Amino acid sequence: MGEFYLFAFAQAHEEFRIPELQSIAELHNFTIKFQSEVNVHRPFMILELESEEHARTLARRCILVKAVCEFYARGLSYEELHEQNRARLPKWGCYIPDTSFRFMVTAYNHSIPQARQRAVVEDFSYMGFLGKIDMKNPEVTMICYEEYRDKRGMTREKHEGDGEFEEAFFGRLIEEGSARSLIRKFDVKKRVYYGNTSMEAEISLLMANQTLASPGKLIYDPFIGTGSMAYTTAHFGAMVFGSDIDGRQMRGKANQPGIIRAAAQYGVAGRIVDLCTFDVTRNPWRCGELFDAIITDPPYGVRAGAKRLGRKPRPGKPADDLRSPETIMKNRPDDQPYIPPTKPYELSSLASDLVQLARYMLKPQGRLVFFLPTVTDEYEELDIQTMLCEGMEVVANSLQNFGSWGRRLITIRKATSERFPPPSFEVSSGELEASSLHVPAHKDFREKYFQGFKNSNFEQPVQDNH
Amino acid sequence: MVRLITHNLLACHAKGCTSNNFPLQFKDIQVELREAEFNSDFLRGFLPRIEWAALVDASRQLGDTSLPAEQPEMLDDDFLQKLHHVLLEIHVEEGAMICPNCHHVYPISNGIPNMLLAEHEIG
Repeated sequence: MGEFYLFAFAQAHEEFRIPELQSIAELHNFTIKFQSEVNVHRPFMILELESEEHARTLARRCILVKAVCEFYARGLSYEELHEQNRARLPKWGCYIPDTSFRFMVTAYNHSIPQARQRAVVEDFSYMGFLGKIDMKNPEVTMICYEEYRDKRGMTREKHEGDGEFEEAFFGRLIEEGSARSLIRKFDVKKRVYYGNTSMEAEISLLMANQTLASPGKLIYDPFIGTGSMAYTTAHFGAMVFGSDIDGRQMRGKANQPGIIRAAAQYGVAGRIVDLCTFDVTRNPWRCGELFDAIITDPPYGVRAGAKRLGRKPRPGKPADDLRSPETIMKNRPDDQPYIPPTKPYELSSLASDLVQLARYMLKPQGRLVFFLPTVTDEYEELDIQTMLCEGMEVVANSLQNFGSWGRRLITIRKATSERFPPPSFEVSSGELEASSLHVPAHKDFREKYFQGFKNSNFEQPVQDNH
Repeated sequence: MVRLITHNLLACHAKGCTSNNFPLQFKDIQVELREAEFNSDFLRGFLPRIEWAALVDASRQLGDTSLPAEQPEMLDDDFLQKLHHVLLEIHVEEGAMICPNCHHVYPISNGIPNMLLAEHEIG
């Protein structure tokens, strides 16, 4: 039987909170017991853990945790809260005789006027703490949180509605979330090398946590681009491999590759095992089961479209337009390196290819963590199911909502130790049939994006013959 | 970079080149040695994936003769240190890797190997 802990979360990425907690618990081999009526959209959660050490571990590694407290009481009113708190005397009684302390009263979505903060503190006087009050370095900090309804977009007086909270929580502060400061450390604007598709720091960190990155692990990003997630996974101790079809993204302009320069800024250059230029659909990996995790943000066509080797089919041109090496050499200026032609890579086939690649390249129990953009109104659970294949199961699926579209952070586990062949990256007839049964909302995402998601029944533009 | 750990994982993947396509042969290379942090768990975890003979050959070609020809059964600290050095501390910065079978040249520049295939080399 565990103890109850009060978790306070940052006001961001609500759907990512539980997956992150679960990932870090799995990484450190302990379990979290959630209460039956968890509402992820609320900023406070009471979790049952076996030890305070587990609570500290979560506070030190989870990006979304602001603070962890030993839970004493909650209530829709202060009467309710105090009644519960009095009954918890065995929990806090040990701090009565001679422990320096401070009380803090704070609110979510609201700021409490100082006069009422003092009044709230005074109402706890029945606890009878005899130690000295120390606002700087107390031995214990008691925190009372008031949770207010999100008044999104409404202008109001600063203290309007003061006291009309949804619920109040009370507990002893164990540890403030220290991983949140990493968001500043990995701020893209302060990075020596980044591009226009670099992933923001907070999400890169959340993704790294989903991979269970830790020392001794080997993690691969097959669309590494400017390396956003390589830095955060390496920060947590993992060794990282990267590849990209476009070497310029990894290199930047200086001699030393941009990714290595940025990794050096974070003190993790040595953990970037290597960067290679290749198309992941034509990859040179000698064998499978190499990686503990695959982390990637596949290019989905808004700022950068996904490409793969090959030539776009062009009507009116002979199909056997494959160039021989001789023609290539003849038509190319001597001083230019040969750059093979590329063709667009449609998102829904990229996604299912990625899952198959992960099944081949991951060790058993390894994780695939990636973003899938999708059309908010059209998304169905089935979209994710259609890209899965035997042996791969979804661990988490969290939406970051941008309005008409959003992106889902998908975490998939390789739940099999069976060996599978490398994917062919060709659309088989079976797959074609399956995909004609269900068209996922992320199919042709790029086209939908540029049409502003106007027609819900997306159709390919038709040639007008009039 | 290219480190020997990477070299041990890359095979020629040109169309039809499916045998004798590993290990790639180094040519005209510039090597740099850079210290890396030692992690025995990482090495132990990676060991089952290594093609031992290829690693020994490559390291000898680059002038490091510390690894035994046969992979030892006992993983003592001395061995792991040597393995660590060979896998992670030798970086090929410039040059090329060449397929022993089809002779495809994969150039390395600023430590990044270009493993892209030309149009006639993909299936």
